[in-house]
This record gives sequence, C-alpha cells and structure tokens, in this order.
Amino acid sequence: MHLVRDVLDKELLDREEEPMGRVDGLIMQLGERSQPRITHIVVGGATLWERVHPAFGRLSRRMSRWWGPKRDKEVRIPWSRVKTAGRDIKLDVEGKDTGAIDWELWIAHHIIEHIPGSGHEEADDGS
Amino acid sequence: MKKILQITLGIVTSVGGFLEIGSVTTAMQAGASFGYQLLWAVLLGTLCLIFLVEMSGRLAAVSKHTIVEATRERFGFPFFFIVLIGMALVSFLVLVAELGGIGLALQILTGVGFPWWAIPVSFVVWVMMWKGTFSLIENGASMLGLVTISFVVAAFKLHPDWGTAAHGLLPTFPDDKKANYWFIAVSILGASISPYLMYFYSSGAIEDEWDETYIPINRIIAGIGMSFGGFLSMAVLIVAALVFHPKGIDVEKFEQASLLMTTALPKWGFTLFALSMLFACFGAALEISLSIAYFFAQGFGWNWSEDLTPSKDARFCLTYTVIIMAAAIPLLFGVDPIKVTIISMALTAVALPLAIAPFLFLMNDPIYLGEHRNGWLSNTVVTIVILLSFVVAIIAIPLEIIGS
Repeated sequence: MHLVRDVLDKELLDREEEPMGRVDGLIMQLGERSQPRITHIVVGGATLWERVHPAFGRLSRRMSRWWGPKRDKEVRIPWSRVKTAGRDIKLDVEGKDTGAIDWELWIAHHIIEHIPGSGHEEADDGS
Repeated sequence: MKKILQITLGIVTSVGGFLEIGSVTTAMQAGASFGYQLLWAVLLGTLCLIFLVEMSGRLAAVSKHTIVEATRERFGFPFFFIVLIGMALVSFLVLVAELGGIGLALQILTGVGFPWWAIPVSFVVWVMMWKGTFSLIENGASMLGLVTISFVVAAFKLHPDWGTAAHGLLPTFPDDKKANYWFIAVSILGASISPYLMYFYSSGAIEDEWDETYIPINRIIAGIGMSFGGFLSMAVLIVAALVFHPKGIDVEKFEQASLLMTTALPKWGFTLFALSMLFACFGAALEISLSIAYFFAQGFGWNWSEDLTPSKDARFCLTYTVIIMAAAIPLLFGVDPIKVTIISMALTAVALPLAIAPFLFLMNDPIYLGEHRNGWLSNTVVTIVILLSFVVAIIAIPLEIIGS
C-alpha cells in the first residue's frame, strides 16, 4: 500500500458509513529495533493547515481557541480501527465518539438548527 | 424505456440550464460589435465543454468520485487548497453576476431598480437550496430555462443570411478593434467552459448514483445537450448581429440589451427576453451556489447532499448560506452586474488551466478510470482550447483595460 497515494487525503467513513472527514495526517512510530509503523490517523485542525504552511497551522490553532467546539487534543484514530482501505477508508468507530465531527455537530447545533426548516424538529419527532 | 426517459431529461436540463448571464452577455457583445465574426468562439467553447462534461460524468460513473474528491486525493491537500481558492473566487464572482442578472430582469419587468432586488432574490435562491431537493433544482430550474429557446425562434424569424453566418464559424482576424475582439473571444470561451458546470455535473452523477452502465447515456447527454445549448448561444449572437450591429448599439447598457428580441417578436420579445434572463440566471445561481458548497464539502470530507435535511449536513448548508448572503452585498451597493459578468468571464478563462490541468491528469489515470480513461482526441481538444484561452486571456485582458 502506498501511504500517500492510497491513504492520505482519502475519505473516512464510520461504522454507519457516515462521512467523518478525510485523512488529514498520519502518525508514524519509529522504534529502536522495530520497523517504522503507522499508529494513528489524524483528522482535521492544525495538522491539515500545517501541510499548506506553518503559519496557517498557527492561525488554525489560534482560531479554534476562541471559536467553535473546544478540544485540547487533535483527533487521532488508532490505525487498528481501519477495516478496509479502498475508494475510502472504512473505520470501526462511531463518528461522533472520535471528535472528528465535532465541528459538524457544533455548527448544526449552534447555527443551522436555529434556522426554521432545518429538519431537526422532524428528527426529534421521529425518535 | 427508463434510460430513454433519463436521456431525454438529461438533454432537456442541459439545454434549459445552458444559457446564463455570461453566455448571453458575451454573445450579445460579440454580435453587436463584430457581427457573425465571433461565432467560432462559441463553437470552440461548446466543443470543449462537450468533452469536459462527458469526462466529468465518466469520472463519476467509473470511479464513484467527483472531480473535487479525486483532485484532493490524487494531488494532496496543499495543491487542492490552491484550486479551491481559485475556483471559489471565480465562482463567487459569477454568482454575483447571476443574482444581478435576476435583479436586472426584474428591473426591466417592474421598473424597480436591481439593488432593491438583491435581498429578495438571494432569499428565494437560498430557500430553494434550503428546502429543495437535487432533482427539483436540476430539473425544475432547467425546465423553466427552456424559455431561452425563444432566442432561436427570434433568430429564425429575422431570416439571417446563413451563408454569411457560416463564415463566422471559422476564425478570422479583425480589421480594427483588435484588443476588444480578442477580449470578447476570451470572454465567450470563459462563459462557455464554466468550471462550475463540471463540478455540478459530476456531483449530480454521484447524487443520481451512476455506474459504468451510464457511460453511453452520459456521452449522449453531454454531446446532444451541450450542442443544443451552444446553438442557443449562437442564436443570441446572430440576433444581436442582425439587430444591434447595423445600428452600432452598445449592449453594456442593459435597457438597450433588453430590446434584443423586439425586432423579431414585436409583441412578446421584451417579456420573453426578461423571462429568459430571469429563469436562466436563476437556474445558474442555484447550480453555482451548490457547486461551491460541493467543492468545500467534498474537499474536506463533510457530509454533503442536497437531498439531506440541513441539520444532517450542517457545514455544507452553512457554506452555501454564507456564500449566497455575501453575493448579495455588492449588488446592494449597486455594483453593475454586467460589468461583474464581463470581468468574471474573462477571469474564468485565466483560471481555466487551474481547474482543467489536474482534471486531465485524473482522466488519464488508470487508478481512477482503468480502461475508461481518456483517448488522444479528448486530451488534444481540451488541452489546445484551454491553452489557447489562457494565452489569449493574459494578452487580451491587459490590452482591454488599457484600451478602455
């Protein structure tokens, strides 16, 4: 498998096949005696912007401190949760438990659901 | 039977959705200033668009990726980010122009100035996006756009000299106003080869769940639909050549442009022109707003589908909401939509390589298309037209600015 061609930037799907972002970064462990191995997938935030320019990474960190869902740590998903890697990367996780869709939920909750007709009322009735 | 229905619907929506403020304005300018002489630019632009739209559909049908998704995955985020910035800026300007076009159409129908329409128009577009489904936007808006066929009726009723018109299909050098000639040629190419149309089409193919069995259907829809669309643009140019060119009328004034069809259709010409602009720009505004939101959502891996309720794809909906609101602002201050149109069409031509170059690489990549990758013909046609547009654009735009 080519990491950059087949993993980096691919779409991530959770257990329910719901999109939960893209592979924005990878974390590799270098052992003294063992082969290097990929341990985590990083989703969103400063890691992504740092790939464009370090200044963008700093800006992203600063922005997330005063606006949006508060998180101290970046979203890391253990590589062991990868089920398949093909057209997209399927993970054996629940999207909202990982923190990867914090922004999606935050925007839905703080902005979209305040606008009439956003559909969350119907969802509430159904449950 | 179902496939025949799909093909018919696909062609009808392509025709209804083809014209928008860019193609109408540039074709009118060309006809008014140079007679039939610039028909070749419409032909060349349409030809290139046929190839590009066919490719967008084929990529989606075979790889199940939209252009945006494949661009990010194959070229990585930093490169994708540059394309995102370029396309978002150009598409945003085109959206301002389309919303302005709706405003201008309402202005000539009601007498109330277009800045007053900026907020109501943006609101209606936004409500359609918020509550509508993908097929409502794709089919409903384009069906209304079929009123633009009235341009063809007008062209036939004026009995043009078809032989002379046919000469315009071959490029010739102008005798005077050279800078203006090439500037309009570039604007026509920019207006015909709209990148947002490719993003919209490939996302639509994913929304409609196309697979490899759709390759022939896709070819027919792209070929016939876009050809008929090109005929509509040519009809606008021909009518302008017959009505405006002899009198030397300047079409940068919208009130004068609105008289385009009154010679051919004295009774209904004025209303038909206004309605054509209204529906054509309305459909385009919806498609562009959706395309920009698709671009962000697909690039960042957010939930996206026009068929989901907004609370299920919050970031996608927030994107188009912000963009539609922002596009209304320049119009509120009375920025001339025709000027925005002319600038954005020329800029589109400059930005084309940014959108098309990575797309061509993808279309030749066996990882994405396997045996269905591009042949030499589509590669050659698209490369030549895009390079030509780019080169002429960077020469003609500064000359036009100096000239005016």
